[in-house]
Amino acid sequence: MSNFYAAMEIGTTRTVLAIGEEEVGGRLKITCHAEIPSTGVRKSQILDINQATSSIKSVLHAIEKKQSEAGSTITLGNAYLVVSGQHIKADPFQGMVPIEGAKVGTEELDAVFRSSRTMQIPKDREFLDIVDQDYEVDALRGITAPRGMSGRILKLNTLQIHADRNRIDNARTAADEAKLEIREPLFAATCAADAVLDEHEKRNGVLVLDIGGGSTGYAAYSDGHLVTTGVIGVGGDHITNDIAHAFQTTNAQAEQLKIESASAIIGRPGEPRVKVPGSSPLMESRTISRRALDTVVNARLRELLTVIRETLEDQDLFNRLHAGVVLTGGGAAMHDIDALVQRELGMPVRTGKPIHVDGLDGEKFPASFAAVAGALMYASRTDEDRSILSGLIGRFFK
Amino acid sequence: MSDSSSMMLIGIGGGGSAIARGVRRAFGEGLRFLAIDTDAATAADCEDFLLLGGNRLSGRGSGGDVVAARLATEDSINSLDPKIEGVRLAIIVTSLGGGTGGGATLETVKRLDSLGIPSIVFATTPFTFEGEDRQRSARGVMAMIEEAAGATFFVPLDKIVGNAERLDDAMRRAVDTMASAVTLFWRLVEKPGYLRLDAERIRHLVSKAGRGRFAAVSSMGPDRARDISDMIARAPLLTMGSGPVRAILCGVLAGEDLRLSEISTISDGVRSAFGSQATTFELATVNDEDTFSGRISVVLLLFEANAKDDYSDEKSAGVLGNKRKKRAAKPLGVGPQGRGRFNNAEPTIWNGEDLDIPTYLRRGINLDV
Repeated sequence: MSNFYAAMEIGTTRTVLAIGEEEVGGRLKITCHAEIPSTGVRKSQILDINQATSSIKSVLHAIEKKQSEAGSTITLGNAYLVVSGQHIKADPFQGMVPIEGAKVGTEELDAVFRSSRTMQIPKDREFLDIVDQDYEVDALRGITAPRGMSGRILKLNTLQIHADRNRIDNARTAADEAKLEIREPLFAATCAADAVLDEHEKRNGVLVLDIGGGSTGYAAYSDGHLVTTGVIGVGGDHITNDIAHAFQTTNAQAEQLKIESASAIIGRPGEPRVKVPGSSPLMESRTISRRALDTVVNARLRELLTVIRETLEDQDLFNRLHAGVVLTGGGAAMHDIDALVQRELGMPVRTGKPIHVDGLDGEKFPASFAAVAGALMYASRTDEDRSILSGLIGRFFK
Repeated sequence: MSDSSSMMLIGIGGGGSAIARGVRRAFGEGLRFLAIDTDAATAADCEDFLLLGGNRLSGRGSGGDVVAARLATEDSINSLDPKIEGVRLAIIVTSLGGGTGGGATLETVKRLDSLGIPSIVFATTPFTFEGEDRQRSARGVMAMIEEAAGATFFVPLDKIVGNAERLDDAMRRAVDTMASAVTLFWRLVEKPGYLRLDAERIRHLVSKAGRGRFAAVSSMGPDRARDISDMIARAPLLTMGSGPVRAILCGVLAGEDLRLSEISTISDGVRSAFGSQATTFELATVNDEDTFSGRISVVLLLFEANAKDDYSDEKSAGVLGNKRKKRAAKPLGVGPQGRGRFNNAEPTIWNGEDLDIPTYLRRGINLDV
């Protein structure tokens, strides 16, 4: 029997739950997924646990209904949690051990691995991931396979990704209330990157921008490994808020304008005026300038890209991204955002459809499922021995 | 910039010049000091003096008229330029509520701003008993000074005179409080210790910092660090702000006996009292055995905006000139304008700007709706 995994993302604008199944040959397929609008979440943070619980219950109900329609009566019991938010940080940390026998052997490799897992973080922080980058033997850097190398000191460079424990616990609490156990929190940006990048891109240097509703995660790769990652607390909701403020609309009207009419670049051809439907049946519709609408969106996105660019330049990484930029998340669906990113960052850009996971072909915008797809890949990669079918073979369904 | 000539103390009006003279006496040589007034009598106590509006007011002062003081300053403002040659940061001390303090300070700060010289303005505002006219006069120029200055510290005189019973005691205490804070700040920059905060960094920090609060406290004895932490938490000048503190500049001045544990105690105390939402915390020390033997003095500046870098000058903004961009960035971080649905959410602060506020608004982009 195939293994099944579940991953959930409680985002600012939507809560997504997906079930993945390993196919013959080990490739993963999303066999069922559901999404509903989130409530009680702002900027990727849960502000109202009751509302978040309600969202989780709704998405659970939706997926069980789909399962039922497909002839299954099982109930979902646990899932991996995809998290984002500007509380997530990544710090470099170096494990270091002496090379006892003058050449690097298994003992040294094990020891340096253990050493690299000793970074202390405050009690209110929680590790999401520790990513191995490369090895150093004495002054020789950038080593990928140090076994057998001669030297005195072996070092392992890592990136330690950690998050605010309370915020993760809030999501756990909301999930518990909805009778869904959280197995492990995973970082959205690196999950998305895993799902959409190939090894060639990682080697040549690539940046993944996972543009969510409340925040934008970034993950940069070079020489085959993750070199930096983080979150900027600006997402698609900021565009909506800017539009609502600029044109005195409701958030719903602004969201509709953003999705249907706005562009990331100014001056595209088309009607000069855009219709804004009335906010209620009693209110008449009106029109606004398309150029003004695009100007608001353009200013926000250019600023976000500037923040990203400066963040990477500060770490001397910007000029190492030769394979360009890959856009994921719901924000990547913004009209003409690829053209803007290309212009502002001066790199080739593509939208990040998950390439290592099947089952999303029918989706209008698969890039918005990149993070949960990557989380399912992680589950498949690291959790194979833990059965997740409860009722039948494990605790996943009950 | 580390030489003393790049930073200048400017006392404006009678009150401001008195404070500046106090700083000059306390600091001694190496402090570049200029007094500016419409009253020629102020020149008597000052080495370098600029008389404003000589033809208009004949050196007799502005008579409490802000407009007359502004016009007098405009008459004479070109004379300021040679006196501030080479200056990269101006510390201005002044008293608002009168004519010259308000009018001349505003025009001086604007002139400095136009020359690219950020200014830190320490200004007292009138006692309550001085009446509504003087209060209104002060309030009238505060917003305009804020607009042009890098950082402003407005200190109600009521807040710093404590329980002084006599007016002369109260005025002396006010001058001493302002002068000691500025003196400590000056020492911090000009005579740095092991933890340095040079003038260029200060310049960077305050260039768009907006309104702030400050305090200077001292203590001696075995529990001096703990005492200072307690004093800071209770300091009336620090607890009068309205918004969360985004940036903190903490200077610890002591003799060679300053212990690491004491720095830690003070630093923890400051963070605990004011640092819950601060994204910038700059700590600097001065070790001067001659001046501070056995004593610790702390000067603390709190800012409700965080301007640690120059994001508003970023290349891609491209919509406004530097000058206008600075104007657009001014209100940020101090109010909820435009935060909309993010009003109750944790703010996203990037180089002192609240990114939850609509970008077009911060950049001053006009929309032809």
